[in-house]
Amino acid sequence: MVENNRRKFLKVVSHSLGGVLAAGIAAPLVGLGIHPWLKETVYGTEDFINLGKLEDFPVGIPKKMNVTSSKMDAWNVFEGLVMGSVWVLRKEDDSLKVFSVNCPHLGCGINWGEDEKQFLCPCHEGVFDINGKVLSGPAPRSLYSYETKIENDNVLVNYKKLI
Amino acid sequence: MANKLGEWIEDRTGLSKLLKAALDEPVHGGAKWSYIFGSGLVFLFVLQAVTGIFMASYYSPSSTAAWGSVYYLQYKTSFGWFVRGVHHYGSSAMMIVAMVHMFQVFIFGAYKKPRELNWISGVILLLFLAGFGLTGYLLPWDQKGYWATQVATNIMGTVPVIGKYIKILHQGGADYGNFTITRFYTLHVFLLPISLVFFLFIHIALFRKHGVTPYWKMREDVLRDRIDPFWPDQIFKDIVFALGMYAVIAGVVFWTRGAELQSPADPASNYLARPEWYFLFLFELLKYCQGKYLIVGTVIIPALALTFLFVLPFIDRNTSRYPSKRMPYFGAIFSGLTGAVVLTVLAMHHDSKDIHIIHQREEAEKQAARAVKLAEKGIPPTGALSIFLHDPLALGGKIFKESCIGCHKIGVEGGDNGPDFTNFGSREWIAGLLKNPKDVKYFKESGAMPPIKLPDESLLDMTEFLLSQSEGLIHQNAERVERGKELVLKGNCVVCHPIGNKDLKKIAPNLTEYLSETWLKEFIRNPGDPRFYGTRNKMPAFDRLTDSQLDALIQYLFSLSKDRALVSEKQEKGKRGYVFGLTSPRTMITFQDKS
Repeated sequence: MVENNRRKFLKVVSHSLGGVLAAGIAAPLVGLGIHPWLKETVYGTEDFINLGKLEDFPVGIPKKMNVTSSKMDAWNVFEGLVMGSVWVLRKEDDSLKVFSVNCPHLGCGINWGEDEKQFLCPCHEGVFDINGKVLSGPAPRSLYSYETKIENDNVLVNYKKLI
Repeated sequence: MANKLGEWIEDRTGLSKLLKAALDEPVHGGAKWSYIFGSGLVFLFVLQAVTGIFMASYYSPSSTAAWGSVYYLQYKTSFGWFVRGVHHYGSSAMMIVAMVHMFQVFIFGAYKKPRELNWISGVILLLFLAGFGLTGYLLPWDQKGYWATQVATNIMGTVPVIGKYIKILHQGGADYGNFTITRFYTLHVFLLPISLVFFLFIHIALFRKHGVTPYWKMREDVLRDRIDPFWPDQIFKDIVFALGMYAVIAGVVFWTRGAELQSPADPASNYLARPEWYFLFLFELLKYCQGKYLIVGTVIIPALALTFLFVLPFIDRNTSRYPSKRMPYFGAIFSGLTGAVVLTVLAMHHDSKDIHIIHQREEAEKQAARAVKLAEKGIPPTGALSIFLHDPLALGGKIFKESCIGCHKIGVEGGDNGPDFTNFGSREWIAGLLKNPKDVKYFKESGAMPPIKLPDESLLDMTEFLLSQSEGLIHQNAERVERGKELVLKGNCVVCHPIGNKDLKKIAPNLTEYLSETWLKEFIRNPGDPRFYGTRNKMPAFDRLTDSQLDALIQYLFSLSKDRALVSEKQEKGKRGYVFGLTSPRTMITFQDKS
């Protein structure tokens, strides 16, 4: 009887100690495992990306530019990666519009029609005016654009957020 | 409901029967604390396996990426430093417990008929452990792992005839590279664990077949009549032991702030390799086997020792387990143990006296801290070593050569209009300056300050206090700082030197935050400022340097001192606080509080 009680007690203590041990081991492992929830592991290093000097953009004619940025990938940094491209329009008052090159319909790459003075989507004949507004075709909205600013005569674009 | 589900599962799997079979082993002669080591090893193996698996999800086995991925694990993840620390010290714990287990089995005579194969499978398991230690050491691809493992692969190369081929096979080529790391990784995480589990299974199955080997004096009737169930009697003891070991390992991890990560492996450096402590005796043995006797240390002695272990159950056939009846074997085993211990102590003793090793350790710490700092901005895809290519130190050195070396000598190079900058800002340099500012090494005849006529010890105290005002002083001594503070503030220094308030002006330089980044920056920009040399100044102002150039130059100046860990990028100052689990505490600033 005494022996049985002793064993019962031992079982309870063993279970609790084993539980403490397992929790002590598991806690830091879980903490490590969920790291990607807690921290960004792949990200661009700059918010605003430099596209070049303002004077390099002709007034009134959209110019296609590659967006290059540096990217952090866990421990690595990759410099000068081409992230994509944008259409940059410099207006007469030196204000800027920066459009996404992807049609808001299905994402095809749009071109600037020099003759038509319109953005043309080759996939489903979407047509947009120089300010990105839909003129015809299936596109549900005007062209996506990006926030932009000019600093020290440099054209900067926030490529992280579509407007 | 739960009961029904339990029954359903039991019906399909027989799980609880299996569990019962696994746990219901009768322990003849009673559960004992002396039986905890085997299950302790199983626990440690599981601990190594789970920590290893979690680390593997952060690790990248290639010569360009390995260091970076370990750096990321150690410094950028939550708990990565802790998990890696547990894995690192867990391996040492396994070695220790395995040795204890082996010697206990030996002393109890548990290798004797019919348990010969228990013993042999155990020796094989021990060899696997050594294999784990060896292959794991290389994986971070840092200086010490890289160079220590070179020693091991070179030893393989000394085996007659086939050595060269074995070495190439292990290295994956004639030299170290990507294939060395992929091969060691494969061994460490696939081949060795699978083999170990296989032999462990045999080892445990044989143990279950033959049962425990009790203390040799246990009476036959006790052995026959006293039968404890494995669960809970023995398992309770095993769990207490496992918990104790984990507490000790975790304690060591906190105390040492995790496992070390040195700077990335640099094949061009000449690093004095040292293996992990449990291989030190082999390493030391090689020192006594030079030239054509090398093979004695690398192959013959280890092979003889292993052969002895393997054949021990067959040569010691006496059925008595009493130690007094087995003296020759006790003699052999314990002289082997003593030899290994003596060699290990000799190796440690030698290294603790060897000025090259001490110097290298200090350099390695600095270099590691530097690497971690630089890696923060990202490691170029060309590999971890490339972080040093964009190091401000290199830029700082260039600026020094362009602007400063005309007056400030370093080593044998440079002019002597200004103080000699060899070891600038170190304790030795400052103490020398205090002792005699007019020395040719310092201000020569233009030195206005009188030499301080105090014993060298007091000068060192003052030096410690002065240097303690800037960050990054290695091995700072708090007592010295206190004594030095007393000497400086209550002595004659403050008659000429303001200290404590940055903006005060007296006839000699303001020593508030002396030699800190800010102090140096303001000084270099305008040494003729009344806060510094005022009208007595002879050094040109370098206000044309940009902020980043000045930062680089100051980093370079810091690097001249052997007593300073490099703390650059001032924006880090605020962030470096240690938050449990969130950041690795092993940042460079922590070198300060080692005394």
